[in-house]
Amino acid sequence: MSGTRPTIEISNICKSFGQLHALKNVSLSVDTGEKVVIIGPSGSGKSTLLRSINRLETIDSGTIIVNGQDIYASGSDINVIRQELGMVFQSFNLFPHKTVLGNLIMAPMKLKKVPAQDAKKQALNLLRKVGIQEKADVYPSMLSGGQQQRVAIARALAMNPKIMLFDEPTSALDPEMIGEVLDVMVTLAKEGMTMVVVTHEMGFAREVADRIIFMDHGQIVETGTPEHFFTSPEHPRTQKFLSQIL
Amino acid sequence: MTQKIPKKEVKIDISDGAAIPVRKDLGLFNAWWMTFFGAIGIIIYLCAVKPDPYWRILKFLPDGILVTFQVTILSILLSLVLGLITGLGRLSRNRLINLIASTYVEVIRGIPLLVQLFYIYYALGRIELFKDLPPLAAAVVAMGICYGAYMGEVFRAGIDSIDKGQTEAARSLGFNRAQTMTLVILPQAWRTILPPVGNEFIALLKDSSLVSILAVSDLLRRGREFASESFLYFEAYTMVALVYLVVTLFLSKAVSKMEQRLNYYERD
Repeated sequence: MSGTRPTIEISNICKSFGQLHALKNVSLSVDTGEKVVIIGPSGSGKSTLLRSINRLETIDSGTIIVNGQDIYASGSDINVIRQELGMVFQSFNLFPHKTVLGNLIMAPMKLKKVPAQDAKKQALNLLRKVGIQEKADVYPSMLSGGQQQRVAIARALAMNPKIMLFDEPTSALDPEMIGEVLDVMVTLAKEGMTMVVVTHEMGFAREVADRIIFMDHGQIVETGTPEHFFTSPEHPRTQKFLSQIL
Repeated sequence: MTQKIPKKEVKIDISDGAAIPVRKDLGLFNAWWMTFFGAIGIIIYLCAVKPDPYWRILKFLPDGILVTFQVTILSILLSLVLGLITGLGRLSRNRLINLIASTYVEVIRGIPLLVQLFYIYYALGRIELFKDLPPLAAAVVAMGICYGAYMGEVFRAGIDSIDKGQTEAARSLGFNRAQTMTLVILPQAWRTILPPVGNEFIALLKDSSLVSILAVSDLLRRGREFASESFLYFEAYTMVALVYLVVTLFLSKAVSKMEQRLNYYERD
């Protein structure tokens, strides 16, 4: 990975909710085009770490630099930085009062002043990419969970982000719908998108990840390639976790 | 692992407005139809059987109905503006703004409307600029300020009822706070806010009868004027009560119709 400039550089961040230390001195850097998958038991701080990358969480100390900008510095405009960071949530969070197309064109039209015609054209292309162009004019409540999540991915992509963050994108889905969402994510990965993914889908992690991060109790316990992880994990906590989940 | 996100069912009812019919009793023989046609029937019966004085009273009232509507509509517009500001203020993270909005709500809710009306009316009279304010305008300002506080609570609850994920999704796309509020939160909160606003509207229409004390010739005052000239107190107030009832029932129907239409993007 040497030679590429890190896109995300997280240094020594700490975060606590009252008594609970959600993140303890976490450092991590992600290079351009790299796919990092974060795994770990619930409550290990993996979602908090991911959400802090686009400042949905505040941190107590440390720095996070995204595309060369310190996102917690007082001078930086987080609204501009966030346009480069696509985010996909566990609960989809589509805007229920807008049609699928409306969900996709809203941000490009309002924030980047893309003309309506161009925004629609791009939106339809994205919907084709995620395989639901025929649903452009329906409201999100008419879609299945898997379809909603694919629309949510398309909505994030509509802003042409440089990085995509996924926060347990398949955890709220029925088992038979997980595959269709993962397929979209695999395609995206193959196209060279920089991705940070929090997930429990080990198959996805094995296939896509350049690097897997295992977290527990707010700390990064072990880092390695999928091969290293699934064949010879070193840390006893990692071994225990993997033996339970695989 | 596969939990479904539960669909939210939010209902706020905080007023003494007329009962808004629920969908299950939309039949022909429900309380609404009984009351509405009962009232109209009695009006017609009285006017037919005893045109003097009842038909005379009914002819005397329309000017007052117009004024009542004027006061109600203008007050509701003012209270919506104040309510939105107050509701946003109550949700603000800024301590000072929050404190000001909350204090406004506490003060207004702690004083009877009639006392507020007198107070604001005479207080405005003391300010040089508002000295020549017509009674109707003063009444609207007083009613608007009062109902603004109640409306503020309706707005706050409505905005609060929208899932936090909506804000996070909008912010993560790059929208700022104001854009998130106007493009994502308010268009959804409106659906939760409208039924109680309709309720407040009906309550305000009834409370607007209080302004008859401030030399505004609304429906009640027209009735009083008729009564004091003819000494037919019982007959005059019977008609006034029936007219209020018909108007209020009509409005409650309109509100419930509007409420149904607002559910267009929700799957049944």
